[in-house]
Amino acid sequence: LQANKTKRRRKWDIGKLIYMNNIEPQDCIKRWKGEDEDDENEDESDIENEEQDFFTKKAGITDQSKETFNDLEKFVPYFEKMEKLVEKWKTFDSINDRFIGASMKSKKES
Amino acid sequence: MSSNKKSPYVSFLGSQNFRLRIVLSTLSGKPIKIEKIRSTDLNPGLKDYEISFLRLMESVTNGSQIEISYTGTTVIYRPGIIVGGSHTHNCPPSKPVGYFVEPLLYLAPFSKKKFSIVLRGITSSHNDAGVEAIKWGLLPILEKFGVRECALHTLKRGSPPLGGGEVHLVVDTLLAQPITIHELERPMINAIKGVSYSTRVSPSLVNRMIDGAKKVLKNVGCQVNITADVWRGENSGKSPGWGITLIGETKKGWCYLAEAIGDSGAIPEEVGEMVAYHLLEEIESSGAIGRTQLPLAITFMVIGKEDIGRLRIAKAEIDERFVVLLRDIKTIFGTEVLLKEVDDSSDHSDDYIVTIKGNGFTNSNKKIA
Repeated sequence: LQANKTKRRRKWDIGKLIYMNNIEPQDCIKRWKGEDEDDENEDESDIENEEQDFFTKKAGITDQSKETFNDLEKFVPYFEKMEKLVEKWKTFDSINDRFIGASMKSKKES
Repeated sequence: MSSNKKSPYVSFLGSQNFRLRIVLSTLSGKPIKIEKIRSTDLNPGLKDYEISFLRLMESVTNGSQIEISYTGTTVIYRPGIIVGGSHTHNCPPSKPVGYFVEPLLYLAPFSKKKFSIVLRGITSSHNDAGVEAIKWGLLPILEKFGVRECALHTLKRGSPPLGGGEVHLVVDTLLAQPITIHELERPMINAIKGVSYSTRVSPSLVNRMIDGAKKVLKNVGCQVNITADVWRGENSGKSPGWGITLIGETKKGWCYLAEAIGDSGAIPEEVGEMVAYHLLEEIESSGAIGRTQLPLAITFMVIGKEDIGRLRIAKAEIDERFVVLLRDIKTIFGTEVLLKEVDDSSDHSDDYIVTIKGNGFTNSNKKIA
């Protein structure tokens, strides 16, 4: 827990973090991704980084959601707000290699 | 009386992962004690649907003992053996049938008799698995582990709030042990399919949802095939409702899933679009399987035979839900999962390989020679 307070960012091994029962699940994920408690303006810095944004913001929405998102009782996983999704998926570049037809198409183009 | 040092129960705190904990306890045969269930809530203790779930567990097992404290905040569950058989379960209006079918899938293959369970109630909701999500998202996972004969039949659809739907879960495969899986690749999607359904509303809503979804998926680079499924009359339950489920299908049999239902006042095109975007998100944030399928797959890997199983997951799938899942599994089975980064430079991904050694669980109803 002391490592949290030091300024230097320690690289955590997620495999170990998962089984440290004294650390809350959301803190595990935060530490692993290198977002310590001390950066308060999480929401702003996250906009720049879409991928990290995906999982970190949820703790900040409301107290209520905090509980539901680490609960497997809820089947539907967390998704971003519509506006962000529309913006993000203007192109399918990031997942092009996941489709059989599309990957061949993009190979031809490049 | 003599050695009271060790508690006879595996203990848990809180209401989270309630069904999973009961399921894991049943599979492992270890009694559990769950304390402080919503103890700080305005309405403390178990909810009606959780009680209903415990009743269902009682009916599919033999010899299970359930003790609930006076306030409902503490439950002691001593699992019996899984017997299955034919049952009918009336689900409370607070939770859809998916909530009850999901945990049954973990148990059904290890039963003494085949599972044939009719569940009545609501068939779709915002937070729980819909009928199509189970049929297309979870049953294929079971198939990968050797459970080939399983089906969920929709006899009647029932939208919230009044429900009136009916589904029939049939699991005919009885296994001694799930087989080990190895999936080190990200499977390629060859088609997107889906169903847009409605009960007691104009069929035009269904087509408008399809239009919305197709608009988003227009240039995705594979076939998009969404069926319209309009339910009328007797079999369409008591409330008007509509929703859409989309899956990304792969040749290998894995699939990615997204679904949603419309509220009164929601615009069908927007719901269709939203689900399409959710599917894209789900594809991006998945390795071999999606986030909704992960708990089932991981659990079956853990109770598999004493062999190493491997599964590719995306970095985005390692979230809080994943952490609580693995912690609960460790608490009950003592099994730890190994995570290794994929060091394949050809496909610049940040995926991980989950490696699990099965704990050699055997179905107590089946003798292995």
